[in-house]
Amino acid sequence: MKALAEAAVDAALGAGASYADARAVALRRQYVITKNGNVDDLSDTESDGMGVRVLVGGAWGFAGSGRLDDSAARDAALRAVEFARAAPGRHTKNLTSVEPRTGTYRTPLERDPFSVPLTEKIDLCLRAEAGMRQGDVKVTVAMIRAQREHKVLVSSEGTNVEHEIYECGGGIDAYASSDDVSQVRSYPSQHSGASAQGGWEYVEELGLDREAPRVGEQASALLRAPACPPGRTTIILSPEQAVMQVHESVGHPTELDRVYGTEAAYAGTSFLSADDLGSLRYGSEQMNITADSTTAGGLGTFAFDDEGVPAAREAIVEAGVLRGFLSSRETAAQLGAGRGGSMRADGWARMPLVRMTNLHLEPGEGSFEELLADVDGGLYLETNKSWSIDDKRLNFQFGTQVAWEIENGKLGRMLRDATYTGVTPVFWSKLDAVAGPEEWRLYGLTNCGKGQPGQEAHVSHGAAHARFRDVEVGVSA
Amino acid sequence: MSRVLDLADEALRTAGGDDAEVLVHAERSGVARFAASIVHQPTLIENAVVRVRIARDGKVGWAATNRVDAEGLAEVARRAAEAADSAKPDPDFPGFSPPAAYAEVGGYDEETAALGAADQARLAAAAIEAAGNFGLYGIYTSGVTEIAVASSTGLAAEQETTDIVCLCLAADNEASGWSERTGWRAADVDPAEPAREAAETAARTRGGAELEPGAYRAVLEPVAVADLVRWFSYDSMGAQGYLEERSYFCGRIGEQPFDPKVSIADDALDSANLPRPFDFEGTPKQRVPMIEDGVIRGVVWDRTTAARALDGQSTTGHAPPDAWRFFGPLPMAFDMASGEAGSAEELAELVGDGIFVTRLHYLSVVD
Repeated sequence: MKALAEAAVDAALGAGASYADARAVALRRQYVITKNGNVDDLSDTESDGMGVRVLVGGAWGFAGSGRLDDSAARDAALRAVEFARAAPGRHTKNLTSVEPRTGTYRTPLERDPFSVPLTEKIDLCLRAEAGMRQGDVKVTVAMIRAQREHKVLVSSEGTNVEHEIYECGGGIDAYASSDDVSQVRSYPSQHSGASAQGGWEYVEELGLDREAPRVGEQASALLRAPACPPGRTTIILSPEQAVMQVHESVGHPTELDRVYGTEAAYAGTSFLSADDLGSLRYGSEQMNITADSTTAGGLGTFAFDDEGVPAAREAIVEAGVLRGFLSSRETAAQLGAGRGGSMRADGWARMPLVRMTNLHLEPGEGSFEELLADVDGGLYLETNKSWSIDDKRLNFQFGTQVAWEIENGKLGRMLRDATYTGVTPVFWSKLDAVAGPEEWRLYGLTNCGKGQPGQEAHVSHGAAHARFRDVEVGVSA
Repeated sequence: MSRVLDLADEALRTAGGDDAEVLVHAERSGVARFAASIVHQPTLIENAVVRVRIARDGKVGWAATNRVDAEGLAEVARRAAEAADSAKPDPDFPGFSPPAAYAEVGGYDEETAALGAADQARLAAAAIEAAGNFGLYGIYTSGVTEIAVASSTGLAAEQETTDIVCLCLAADNEASGWSERTGWRAADVDPAEPAREAAETAARTRGGAELEPGAYRAVLEPVAVADLVRWFSYDSMGAQGYLEERSYFCGRIGEQPFDPKVSIADDALDSANLPRPFDFEGTPKQRVPMIEDGVIRGVVWDRTTAARALDGQSTTGHAPPDAWRFFGPLPMAFDMASGEAGSAEELAELVGDGIFVTRLHYLSVVD
């Protein structure tokens, strides 16, 4: 693969590119999904190919080919140059400098998830499903996934790096219904469960079959729970819901390509401007957000991003003040600050974009119980169910699968159909406590969408329980 | 026989004597993506994917690859067989689709298929030019897609299609407007039209006031209506949501919960859309009325959900692509009947005071 990538870069330079990089990728994904006690989907897909990105006269060009051979590599390079040449208008591109690096990275793992027999995965799913089947539960689903991505990046500046990244994960869902009420309960999160970089040991640690009875019982109980009443109150977000809040209202708005408008036609822009760096108050003193592409087990962990920029841990929000953006070499140069390091592509057939890597709400101190103890009346919100946010990432509404009343510092009865709403910096200004490191959890999401043509990024977020005062809840039509 | 059907046939032979179904999906496309009136992310893609489904004693597994040489096809057949062997017998598996005759629906245009990178860039430039002083954001994309399905039942289906999308957001710091066009003939999609529309809408939004939360009478543009219908369809208009009692249609078929002005069908055979003669199992597509004059008529089905219904239900030709299998069959070619109003202005007059919604952003189902 390395020789092919080098050939593509040479071909691009020979055709007139001032810069070129080539990514040769071999990707394999496996899914095991069981539903209602039967195998619903058993799939094993692979996709090999090469993407070549070039700069010609200051204009980008990109071409991908689903063949890994010498002629396809050279052809992709020439097509990328042709497309860049055809781009109308005047173009200028400056990139931050990056020291050419060579190196390899492989996910540390104990057991290769592809070495685990399919029958073992199916049996685990079926056991977990059986555990959920109770009460008014009508549909049960269990899923396990595994992925291996072998990737070589070569650039005309001398970068030549290789990654072999393993992911695996899983999740379970119980759907209960009666008359006009339908409810879902999931573990460890909705939206395709949770994943991590690592081996089969991660799936075993999830304990899908261990958690299944609780998930089924709560799905059934939600049918009889009262709906969350509207009002303004104190809320505590579970770590799983807190990471969704970070993802949507901090991760996306701090992507520098959004700030500069290049995602306007699809994913949207940002309420932030480049001038806000270092001065904008994003939230309270308790708000500390870090982008960390070195996090052990993170889906956004690598040695080098898809532009060859080394991984790093960097502050995005410090004590409530905006300190950094997620950036590429191009957008960092435009800003005049930062170095890039967040460029990632979804497979060989897509151009790298500014994406989240691992973005965390840093822990505070104390336990979940200590956060609860300081709430006379409020709600504890668990497990994301729905999310919606405007195209500047400012006005949002989230729904959670379950809410628990908090009375005099203790969890009370279960409520269903809980929602909360807010305006991003106002909401984060109400953060008054984050639980300590012992409550901090890492969640990997595999469905972050962006770009045209569409790309899905795999990202991780860590958070502990987070408490917000005076939040509007229970809004419905 | 076309190149993709040849490939499907070869993959089927490689699968040996198994009950098997092969889907080949080949794509050659170019996207000229622009922002602030500059083409900044041009993407050209060439790929072909072969998916093999194998059934052994009622146990089903599948595998897919884009390595389409003999070695790749042998490997994908081996992995599909391994998946099938590892599975449990599926009581709902209805077998693979039998051979069928397909409607002639069109959907391929030689001129569109011939568009290359320089053409896509030129047509994107035409859109940018038409937006005038506004910055234009969006895409001009064209492509050729070939799909073939072959199975051990003797089924052989193939279609070659072209497609064009021109999507335009005209915007500056105080204004924005949206418009888009889709088609399968380049001659039908003048990129200047959506660009001009987007710019005209943007001009009207300048100086717009903030809208207080509340209940308003509203006129929605077609793209906004389509988004609402599409999101409603995910749980309510497919057989899986219906069988799992998540659909709003459950227990309401034959009832009239909607205004009589509402009629929605799924019609992939209509060449005014992006026509498809068969679904991803090779089953012929049918026009399915889902709501007629406000009355709920039914949902769309594939072979698996039809078998699961246990009431003689037949597939309507809505087996989803692999990426959507988890959601079951879904309508993907909506046809909402038009009404009597001659224009958006006429609708606005009927509304009186209210709001005009051009599009919706980031819809989600709350509960």
